[in-house]
Amino acid sequence: MNNIYIYNGEFNALLNLLAYFFQNKIKPSNIKKEGYLGNLFDYVINLNLDNKDLTSQFINYFGKYNMHQIYYVFLSNEDNKELIIYYYLLNFFKYRENLVKMRNLKCVNETLRICKKVGNEAHRFKGFVRFKELKNKILYATISPDNDILEIISVHFKKRLKNEYWLIKDEKRKIISVYDKKDFYILKEDELNIKDLILSDSEKDMERLWKTFYDTVGIKERTNERCRMNFMPKKYWHNILEVSGEIEKSC
Amino acid sequence: MELKEKLQILADSAKYDASCSSSGSTRINNSGLGNAHLSGICHSFASDGRCISLLKILLTNICIFDCKYCLNRRSNNVKRAIFTPEEICEITINFYRRNYIEGLFLSSGIIKSPDYTMELLIKTISLLRYKYHFGGYIHAKAIPGASTFLLKKLGSLVDRLSANVELPTENGLKLLAPNKNMNKVSEIMGFVRDNRSKSYVPAGQSTQMVIGATNETDLDIMSKSEGMYNSYKLKRVFYSAYIPVNKDNLLPTLKMPPLKRENRLYQADWLLRYYGFKVDDLLDKQNPNFNILVDPKASWSLRHLDEFPKEVTTCSYNDLLKVPGIGVTSAKRIIKSRRYFKLTFNDLKKMGVVLKRANYFITCNGKYNLNQELFSKNFIEANLVSLDSANKLVSNVEQLRLF
Repeated sequence: MNNIYIYNGEFNALLNLLAYFFQNKIKPSNIKKEGYLGNLFDYVINLNLDNKDLTSQFINYFGKYNMHQIYYVFLSNEDNKELIIYYYLLNFFKYRENLVKMRNLKCVNETLRICKKVGNEAHRFKGFVRFKELKNKILYATISPDNDILEIISVHFKKRLKNEYWLIKDEKRKIISVYDKKDFYILKEDELNIKDLILSDSEKDMERLWKTFYDTVGIKERTNERCRMNFMPKKYWHNILEVSGEIEKSC
Repeated sequence: MELKEKLQILADSAKYDASCSSSGSTRINNSGLGNAHLSGICHSFASDGRCISLLKILLTNICIFDCKYCLNRRSNNVKRAIFTPEEICEITINFYRRNYIEGLFLSSGIIKSPDYTMELLIKTISLLRYKYHFGGYIHAKAIPGASTFLLKKLGSLVDRLSANVELPTENGLKLLAPNKNMNKVSEIMGFVRDNRSKSYVPAGQSTQMVIGATNETDLDIMSKSEGMYNSYKLKRVFYSAYIPVNKDNLLPTLKMPPLKRENRLYQADWLLRYYGFKVDDLLDKQNPNFNILVDPKASWSLRHLDEFPKEVTTCSYNDLLKVPGIGVTSAKRIIKSRRYFKLTFNDLKKMGVVLKRANYFITCNGKYNLNQELFSKNFIEANLVSLDSANKLVSNVEQLRLF
């Protein structure tokens, strides 16, 4: 029988579940989000733990670096990310500070690989986000990244666009990051009423100027479609102003 | 003239400058707009696959110089335009707020005199920094021949300053750019090197050379680069394959820009900066040009096959870097991990080693991954050539020499 433990999908709830496993020496077959249906051989267990805030305790014990690693894994879209985190931390008890050097362990290698993947996508989106200016000067952007990177890029834009009001919406996860010139808050889409977005008067002109620049700057004699696609995959194009018009053409 | 048309003309004239980097600066946002990101950020990629991080424009394409290879030379009959400082600020700020760009790359044709041009650049960038409180990345071109105090001023406003040497030898320069001379560029580089600090050109200086417009060899080009890296502490030298934009009997007629050659020069440039190679290791008087079919590192390894295979579990970091298929990242990972467990070929693969290349040059715990009898120059070279994906891409590379 496979013992599948479920949790509510929040990071802190996962930490509580992991702490419970480590304290009681339980070895889960897998860990899944609520809503997991399971198959014939699965035994789905919901412990309904009393969730305490364990973040600082975890940081104290496992160290900042390892917590950073598992948080990035948590943000990823990997299927068995919770189990990878479990095994990564489990191995910490054995290898302590040397854990990250043990690349021959599957859980370490996977953790490092996924972290890099999430970090890379977040870095890409620091460049790929395209804001539109609304009538009330608020900047508004939509993205649909593979991993849940909204928080990471919000930290970046908080520093960069300090004196602007901005919203970034993750279409895939239906969440929005809202910045009010002091801090950003990540809300569910239905908690916020954003309809009837009216663009500012100069928005279309600016978009046209940018498109002009983009179309001019490529050197014709060096055209390299494959190279462009490697760096800027098509899956992101519909939210990138200057290339969104090319999607229909090539289909 | 409409703003859109100006932008088109002045972006079109600026696009042949290869530099696109926005890294190396940590400028922070003091309650204004924008900051610099240490690693740099690419915001878009143009149809030629080059990254767009900065709004790369000329202040004006009016120019008193007559450099043969340049679109904006005085004798060319092209439409001329000039931006006002306000126009540049408006575009930069509006693009930056919308996250289209990481900052501004401002260059210019020489209008009236070097000093006058430099003053215009300074006026524009001061406006951007002090009136618009712009904290993003700015890369400006220093104009050769301008006064030192203007150079001092400009450098204190920007993140990166560059002056292009354009051609690796004085002769080439005399031939194609009669108004330029090497000494003026060297003066700028020397000045920037001596004054560089956190508040003066924090991201360092770079330069560019045009490849294939004159008959210099790769050895000439790489020696020039090495010399500049050593004496001026440049961050980067960019290589730009010559694209014929003008007709002139002093210029070569090319069907295709020498992209493959440019690629090999960049690979060699990385070997100089990160892999501990010297130009003398890579090229000599008998072989003054790179092999187009095999990359410079592999071709070095093939010439020094007696030093291989290397044992990855014991050899030094510098030796690891000499192995084709092992880069800086994977070499560091190997060094970090190999004390803690017994490496296998599978582990190497997981660490990012490109085994299909490295296999020929390494042993792991004394084991060679391929048939030891096939360890010969011809066999390895043939296999490496077929692996070079670029060879498959560039259709006009002639398949010669082998088999």
